[in-house]
Parts: sequence; structure tokens; C-alpha cells
Amino acid sequence: MNKIRHLALMTAGLATLALTMPAMAQADRVVLTLHPIDSDALVENFNPNNPTGPQQMVRDFAYEPLWIDNIWNPDKDYPALATAYEISDDLMSITYTLRQGVKWNDGEDFNADDVIFTFEYAKANQDYPMGIDVYVEATDTGMVVSAEKIDDYTVKFNLKEPDALARFALGGIYPLPEHIWASVEDPKNFANTEIVATGPWTKVENFSRSSVELCRNETSRYNAENAIDCLRFLQLNGNEQIIAAMSAGEVDWLGTGLTDPEITFTPQSEFNNYWLPPGGDVNLQINTTKAPFNDLEFRKALSVAIDRDTIVDISTFGLTTHTRFPVGTGETYATWFNAEALEPYTWLMQYDPDRAIELLDAAGFVDADNDGFRDNPDGTPIAFEINIPNGWTDWINTGQTISENLQDVGINAIVRTMDQGAWNDKARTGDFDSYLMWTNGGPTPYNTYNPMFNPRNMEAGRVDYQAMHQMRLPEVEEALQAFRSTADRNEQMQHMNTIHTAVAENLPVIGLFANPTWYEYSTRNFEGWVTEENPYVRPTVFEGTRERVIHALSLKPVSP
Amino acid sequence: MIYILRRVAFYLAAFFVAVTLNFFIPRIMPGDPSARIIASFQGRLNDAQVEAIRASYGTTGSLWEQYIGYVGQVLRMDFGISTVQFPEPTSSLLFYGATWTLVLVGIAITLAFLIGTMMGIHAAWNRGGFFDSVFTPINVMLNAFTPAVVALLLFYAFSLQLQWFPLGRAHSTGLVPSWDPQFIGNVLYHATLPVLSILIVSFGGWHLGMRNVMINLLNEDFVILARAKGLSDRRIRYRYVARNAILPQITSLALSVGFLLGGALVTEQVFNYPGLGKFTVTAIESRDYSFIQAQLLLLTMSALVANLLSDIANVILDPRLRKG
Repeated sequence: MNKIRHLALMTAGLATLALTMPAMAQADRVVLTLHPIDSDALVENFNPNNPTGPQQMVRDFAYEPLWIDNIWNPDKDYPALATAYEISDDLMSITYTLRQGVKWNDGEDFNADDVIFTFEYAKANQDYPMGIDVYVEATDTGMVVSAEKIDDYTVKFNLKEPDALARFALGGIYPLPEHIWASVEDPKNFANTEIVATGPWTKVENFSRSSVELCRNETSRYNAENAIDCLRFLQLNGNEQIIAAMSAGEVDWLGTGLTDPEITFTPQSEFNNYWLPPGGDVNLQINTTKAPFNDLEFRKALSVAIDRDTIVDISTFGLTTHTRFPVGTGETYATWFNAEALEPYTWLMQYDPDRAIELLDAAGFVDADNDGFRDNPDGTPIAFEINIPNGWTDWINTGQTISENLQDVGINAIVRTMDQGAWNDKARTGDFDSYLMWTNGGPTPYNTYNPMFNPRNMEAGRVDYQAMHQMRLPEVEEALQAFRSTADRNEQMQHMNTIHTAVAENLPVIGLFANPTWYEYSTRNFEGWVTEENPYVRPTVFEGTRERVIHALSLKPVSP
Repeated sequence: MIYILRRVAFYLAAFFVAVTLNFFIPRIMPGDPSARIIASFQGRLNDAQVEAIRASYGTTGSLWEQYIGYVGQVLRMDFGISTVQFPEPTSSLLFYGATWTLVLVGIAITLAFLIGTMMGIHAAWNRGGFFDSVFTPINVMLNAFTPAVVALLLFYAFSLQLQWFPLGRAHSTGLVPSWDPQFIGNVLYHATLPVLSILIVSFGGWHLGMRNVMINLLNEDFVILARAKGLSDRRIRYRYVARNAILPQITSLALSVGFLLGGALVTEQVFNYPGLGKFTVTAIESRDYSFIQAQLLLLTMSALVANLLSDIANVILDPRLRKG
């Protein structure tokens, strides 16, 4: 839909608008407006590895990765700058065959030198987050040791140790054009105002503090199928403004948080649509280094004392999804569950306050000082906080439900909200009672469990959000190592089952629900959106979902 | 003259204290800019990268050394680059926000002051009359509203439901700022609701202040003398009474102008207006030290300058101060 129509719809019938028309007049173009990042003012920066905003706009759309994993349909991946990859038998290297005939939009050829340069560049500029896990000798961390040029269109990455999962991370390398970046000394502070890339939209047009467009790359190989001339990014901030903008036809594609969408979102416009597939799980992270959380019976009681139905239906507005097993992960990894093996643990996810009381009584958690709340078996009182950042409404509601549930069975737990900075800092110290916490996602559950159980993430002073429980489980650590060392899905399943069972047995975290994946779209200007019936790729608008470029390329303008 | 010089010396001292506080207050807050960036990667960075990012966002040298460097920057009026939105210069975002805040809050304060003061004069002159007994209570009531409620109501009614006004922004996207009448018209159109939301809750204060001082003055001997001399009502009202009554108003106006650059957070948030209030809150949330410092500095300077101007204005308007 063209720009004039867009605006006309938004402020129909206003005389003032007529005054502004001459400035808006531009040839009929098809413009898709998407909103991957909130801001107060747009900044003229298109650095693909700048995490403060630019990377949300230019990754995938302008800068292409080597490979686009189709996480929901793994047998239908989308090759990007590479056309094939081969994992060596010993899992110590991966060789990528690069696409021939690709040109950067300034006319230079793309080839292996660019990829090698990109790797070396990441190695030389550690403070520039290119997302390549380069091996660093000094700290003995990292995965990728070197990148070798086999020929002009073949590159081999050598790994530190056998790793069957490395292809997911390596596929996400966004090659930089050597002829441009070789002369950039301080990439972190480079604003990259002229994009040189290979993707479908590379030309920056009409930049202002309130909107910017990324327009068609005339040399892109996608041009035959690409119906969209420009992507537009608007300055927007705050959920009310963002939703109002979609309802008014200013934005086509969103990933913003909703509350009560049937009241606040869909009635606002006939074109407003949403679908919220289950995303990563949210857990109650408890500090198992101290009482009472160091007692397994207490943790079991905690788990059955929580009324997850109320949390899903009321506290989180019915937008979250139930979690079946007490393993810290949920429906996003549904294909990895061995339901039979986990059946004996399902009772831990059922709300059963009587059972909680029984468990607590039996384990000696009784009210010793008659203050109305249970105490530790040694007589010390139990009183703990659930820490949540200010303003995270659904989580605060969840925390309050948990607090009420626990008080019902005699446990003194309260919600403590705090500034996000203070919340961050407190998490790192390792000295806290409990937090509500998201889980990290990725193509396999390994990406969730590795940060959760990596002992490096449990050192006091640098505790990672995922490992806040601080419980070491050797069988999990071994199974994670084994999982990564095989490319065989069946073997991986076995190792994952070991991990699931160990987590269910020990309850280092208390599973709650799966967060929604936020996805809203408007059918006013485009058709071909991902829907529940046709989930051809993950529909998220944010960087980190490499498929989003495929989603954008699949959209066609609605015929007027 | 000595009076003015004394005030200037006082303001210089106050400025230095403020500069020092500006440096330390953001650093006392828990959290730092790197934590948020690292958190945004949700575990996708390895240790070396985390350390490198921490080092590059963090600061080198002791707090004292940083402070000395910062004072040097302040003296050179160099605000550095944004700690969070690097490498954007802090000043470019700051002045962008400041411009729109000046438009929004400037118009709102001016209108509120003019409307409120005129209504106050009128109400006091005919105190107990129809105008006074109707508008004084209404204005006091409006003054008690919170900007949040008024802004949301206006937004809901006129932007969302009736769609008479745009959803937000300072001007339509795609327009290039310039001085041509079309652009100015567009800006005023976009500013209407935001200005109204501030105006509605603020002019009552001016009305009340002006009315109360005026009423006190109307019983003074010089007013009776002026009447006895046979001066016109109009002349007594404006040249004799209002001129005296406006002195405390000028002092409060200076205070509001001083805090003008603090922005109008709630209004800016509701109408997505790119003012300084919104920028500042975002900067505080993300621990953008250089932006917080620069904004506090701007606020301090404008408050001090506005006060100085009000001191000078008082000297001009009130001959009694000229002796000391």
C-alpha cells in the first residue's frame, strides 16, 4: 500500500492533511511497516552488530546470515549466503559451501574472503558483539578456533571440541564485506550510515528521527519474488501507542505485549490479528544454597502448592501456556519429551495444597514459634522474597498468586518489586531468595539447559540469570556434554531424557508456564502472514529469528 | 548592581555543587549500562565477549579520575557520546529532545501564564462577582487534576475515538523540519492535544495566585490615592495593582521556566511526543550516564539562568530593590 493512502486513512478528512500532501508525494511504492524495537528517537546507525537498535533493523533484511534454520520445520531450512554445509565425522569442523554469483550492493563479489575476514574481525574485536563464539586461549573459552579458506566459495570452521550443534551458531554468522570493514578501526562505534550488504532491502531512505525506510536492493537475488519495495521502521514507544498505530493502519507487523487482546486489540480494527504460540518457559528460580530451598521435600511442596491454573488464566490474562512436566522447559521443545518416562513426575505440576501441607509437615517444616507461619526444622523462621522488576505486570500478578498460594499452606513468601538495575545486580550476587525468570531459547533444549547448569554460570558475583538456583547436577552436566557430542537424534533424545529426569527428580527450578511469543499482524495492506493454520516459519518480528526475512518476502500486497 | 553581582556569585557556587551531584547520583544507582546490553543477549555471548563489553561500557580509572575528566568536559561543554546509544553524540539527542520540549512546554506555560493571570486580574477586580464565583472554583478544581488523567482522556476521546487529532509525534512522519508555514501548521496541529493536557491542569494555579495577591493590594493606600486622583479604572487595574501583584508571579514563572526542560513526562509518554522527559526516563532506566549527566546539567543551568533573569526582572519592576 502506498504512503499517501496510509496517511490518508490515519487522519481521514482533515484539512490540515492537505497541507502536508506535497511533501508526501512519492511514486506508488509497496511499503511494509514493522516494529522490532521501541525508541524515543531514531538514530542514524545501521551497524549490523550494534545491539542497541540498529541490529533489529538491518540484520536478516540487509545483512544476510550464512544459513536460515527453519526452527519449526527443520527439514525445510532456507540456505542464505551458504548453499550447503557438511559436518565432519569427528564433529570437529563444519564446511560451508558459499553461494556463487552473489554481489554486495556496491557491485563487489561476495566470496570466501569476506567470511574469513568476518571471523578474523570478530577475533580481533572482542568487544564488538558479532555473535561468533571465538575460542580465546587466555580464558580457555569459546568454540570456534579458526576459519580456513578451502577455495573461493568454500570455508571450513575448526572447532575446539566435537560439537554437533555448532552449525546453528555458525549458520548465524552475518558476513561483513571485507572491502568496507577492513578499514573500520573501531567497529563498536561505527555508525555504518551507508549499508553495503547482500539482502533484499539495503538502501536507507527518508531517514528522520521518527521514521526510516530500508528499500529494495537492485542487485538482490530475491527481486523476482519480492513484492515489497521498502521496509519502514517507525519511532514508537509504549504499548498503547504501538497498538493504536496498528489499529490506525500505520504499522503492519508487531511483537508487542498485549493484555486482554479480545478487548484491547482485536475490536480496535477489523484488520488487527494476533497469534501467540507458546514461547520459552518461565520458572521460579530458587536459591538452593540456603534453607529452606536446599531441602528437596520443601521444593516439592512448593511446586504442588502453586495454583498454575489461576496463574495461566488470570494472572497472565490467559495468554500463557501450561507446562506439563517439572523439567524447567515446556511446549517449545514438545518433540523432545519422553512423556512415558516423565509421567511419574506430573503430580508435581498439579495444584494440591493438601499434599503440600502433608509434605511440609512430614519434613519437619512446622510453625515452631506460633507466628502463623511455618519455620525451618531447626526452628529458624522462613520468610522469603520473590523478586520481580517494576512494571512487569503479568509477572507481578504471577508472583502475587504464588505468594497467596504459599501463605495458604503456611509459608511466608512476599513479592518484592524493584528497579530493573537493582534486580539485575542482585541476581548476579548469588545472594537472594527467589526470582521469576525466563529461560533462554534456541534450536534445541541444549540452549536452555546449558546456561542453566553450566557451573561457570554459578560463580558468586557473576551468577547467570539461568543458573540462579546454583545447584550442580553432575549427571546433567555429563548428559549435556554427551548431547553435544553426537549428531544422532535418537542418541540426543536419550541424553535429553536423562536431563529431564534429573531435573524432575531434583527440582532445581519450579516450572510455571510458557510465555507467549508475541506476534500481531494487520491484514489491511498485506496477505500471506504466518497463521496457526499455516506456520511456515516462526512469526516473530525480532532479530534472533532469522526466518523473519522469509516471512517478509512471503507477504504480498492486498489488491485494492 | 551589587545585588545582581551577589546573586551571580551565588549561582556560580550552586552550579558547581549541581555539577558534582550530577556526576555522583547516577553512579550511586544500582546497575550499569553494560548489564542491560549483556542481558539483552540472553546468554548468547561467551565470557571473553562479556568481559570485553563490560570493559568498553564501563569506565576506566578511579571515580576521582573520572570526576576530574567529567568536570573538564563540562567546562568545555562537551557532552561526549551516549553511553547506551553509541556512537550517537549525547548532544544531538539532547538538543533534539530539548527543541520539542521547548515547543510543547513553552507554549503550554506561556498560555497558562497569560490565561491564568488575566483571569486572576479579572476575578480579583470584580471579586464576588459572577466571573469570580464561577471561574475561580472551576479553575481550582482543574488545577487539582493530574496530567496523566487529562492526557489519557484527551488521547482516548480525540485521538482514538473521534480521530480529530493524530495519535502522537511532533509532526507527521516523512516531513522534514523547516520554517515553512505548512510544517509549522503540522507541528501546531500535533501539539494541540499535548499542550491542552498541560494547559488544563496548570492555568488555575496562575489564576489563583494572581487573584489572591491582587485582592490584598486593592485595599492598600496607594490604590485609594489613585482612585482619589481620579485615574481611570483601567489604569489603576493594570499600571498600579497588577504591576505590583505580578512580582511573585514572575518569580514562580521563572521557577516553571527553569524546570521547563525537565519535560512533561506523562504528556510525552501518552502522545509519543519526543520531549526531554521521555528521553530522560529512558536514559535513567538504561543507565545512560552521559545522557543523564547532560540532561541534569541542562536542567540546572536553565533553572539557575531563569532565576537570575527573574532577579533582574524584579529589580527592573520593583524600584525598592535597586538600592541594596
